[in-house]
Amino acid sequence: MLEAKNITKTFHSEGVETRALADVDLTVNRGEFVSIVGRSGSGKTTFLNILSTLLAPNSGEILYNGEDVTTFSAARLNQLRQKDFSVVFQFHYLLPYLSARENVLLPYMKGLAPVSKEAKLRADACLERVGLSGKGSKIPGHLSGGEQQRVAIARALVKESTVLFADEPTGNLDKGTGDSVMELLADLKNDGLSIVMVTHDTEYANRADRVIQMADGHVI
Amino acid sequence: MNILTIPLRNTRKKWVKTLLLLVVFTLGVTSIVSLNYVSSVVGESLEKKLTAYGANILVMPKSEKLTVSYGGFSMGDMLLGVTDLSESEVATQVASIELAERIAVIAPKLIAMTQVNDTAVGVVGVRWDKEKILKGYWALNGDYPTTKSGVVVGSKAAARLDLSPGETLDLGGKVVNVTGVLLPTGSDDDSVIFADMDFAQANFGTPDRVNFVEVAALCAGCPIEDIVQQIQKALPNTEIQALQSIVKQRMYSVNFVKQLILTVSVIILFIACCMVGVTMLSSVNERIKEIGLMRSLGFSRKGIFGIFCFEAMLIGIVAGLIGYLSGYALSLKVLEILDMAEGATLTFNGGDLALTCLFIVCVSVLSAFFPAWKASSIEPSEALISL
Repeated sequence: MLEAKNITKTFHSEGVETRALADVDLTVNRGEFVSIVGRSGSGKTTFLNILSTLLAPNSGEILYNGEDVTTFSAARLNQLRQKDFSVVFQFHYLLPYLSARENVLLPYMKGLAPVSKEAKLRADACLERVGLSGKGSKIPGHLSGGEQQRVAIARALVKESTVLFADEPTGNLDKGTGDSVMELLADLKNDGLSIVMVTHDTEYANRADRVIQMADGHVI
Repeated sequence: MNILTIPLRNTRKKWVKTLLLLVVFTLGVTSIVSLNYVSSVVGESLEKKLTAYGANILVMPKSEKLTVSYGGFSMGDMLLGVTDLSESEVATQVASIELAERIAVIAPKLIAMTQVNDTAVGVVGVRWDKEKILKGYWALNGDYPTTKSGVVVGSKAAARLDLSPGETLDLGGKVVNVTGVLLPTGSDDDSVIFADMDFAQANFGTPDRVNFVEVAALCAGCPIEDIVQQIQKALPNTEIQALQSIVKQRMYSVNFVKQLILTVSVIILFIACCMVGVTMLSSVNERIKEIGLMRSLGFSRKGIFGIFCFEAMLIGIVAGLIGYLSGYALSLKVLEILDMAEGATLTFNGGDLALTCLFIVCVSVLSAFFPAWKASSIEPSEALISL
């Protein structure tokens, strides 16, 4: 379903060229949970950002359902991010002036048309699924770090996308909260969602169907 | 709940910042509105007062001037085809022009020569009600005539004829009373006798006929050329002459006030716009992660641009509305304190309010254009990820 072929990425900073990725390949099947591990600077986050279309590669192809997304126009990329791909970041990035429920509904607030009743019901269901039913009206500042990350996951789930990209989703959480987030990801995988997770925690990485090890911009 | 919920909630959440920006922008609008209203009313009042210093348009019969000389002997200038004007026609036609409301006074004149006690003297027939408006600067020893047989004598003429208020004289075979003697004006007015128009027409001319007509027009808001053109169109067989030096002198005073106010208004508006721009730019920098997140969720550049423009629009609407109303109220107070609105009034206009709001919204959105464009150009990777 999602295939990366010969992905290369080089960064230039103050005249210094740094190769972050060199001919990286990966295939993610429907409903598969893949974790990417590696040391800091191994290129795992860069790879995840390229897979999720947040960053463009220098060369290579990202095939999603057979189409190369690196050739997509800005409008088609927006469409892909709206419908098919969801990203959970290490930091929750919730809008502080919206309630938890409104944050979950944010993907539906991109136009002048009011958010549909169905979307609102789906948001409530997502909040319930991440264990936050009854906390939808709270603003992020009134939620704990774990709860905020759950809201971010609910925001990723509400679109009913097919691939979920998670960048260190437990990175800022304590062990207990991290475990519950991992359980949630496992449940989602069981529901047929494809998940690509970047983590430095080998215990959490091993809960995936497949673990990809990266070092110096290569898959090893 | 839609995309506008985001800027609405943000402005509500950051209410102190929003309020400060609103106060600054509103103060700017208030200053501009009040300055413009005060200048407009004071300018109108000033121009009306200046009208008392003479006419600025002359309506004369068409004539042809010929300089005659023969054998080295000059016979001077001869005017050919000189006719007189119909007083009623000129008054009716001038009052019917499109810019008739700019006409302050129409003062006809009939000039005749006569002898008083064997001394030649000029007699000028005038309509006293019009003349008093036109010659607001006249000072009299005595009073203006209240009957058709009353005259006012210029200072030099009075000295030459040895006349003083209360005396009588024979004018064209009729005995008239000298009701007043003009104090010296330094103009031709000093050398003539001013009589009632009906008296002058009956004794020195023809009823309803005059030699020329002086017109005082208010020129603020329209060029004198337009008024002259319209009078010329209404009276095709006459010669209309704008006394440009008088017009320029008057307009200089009025325009100086207006230009000063305009300059101050532009400066205030520029500062207010800078405030909006800088605040929006800092807001974009503060919310860079939010913008990145929204872009990662599939928000288009246009959508992000719209969020910031809508915030600026909200500020503009509120500032425009409150600023206009405060500016109007302030103008009333300032005019009351300055006591300078004599002859001019300030009236509330809903159209002005709507136009002001629209203008301020446009200016506010334009000020936020660069920050909004900057926000819309942010790529999610730049804003969110640490590589």
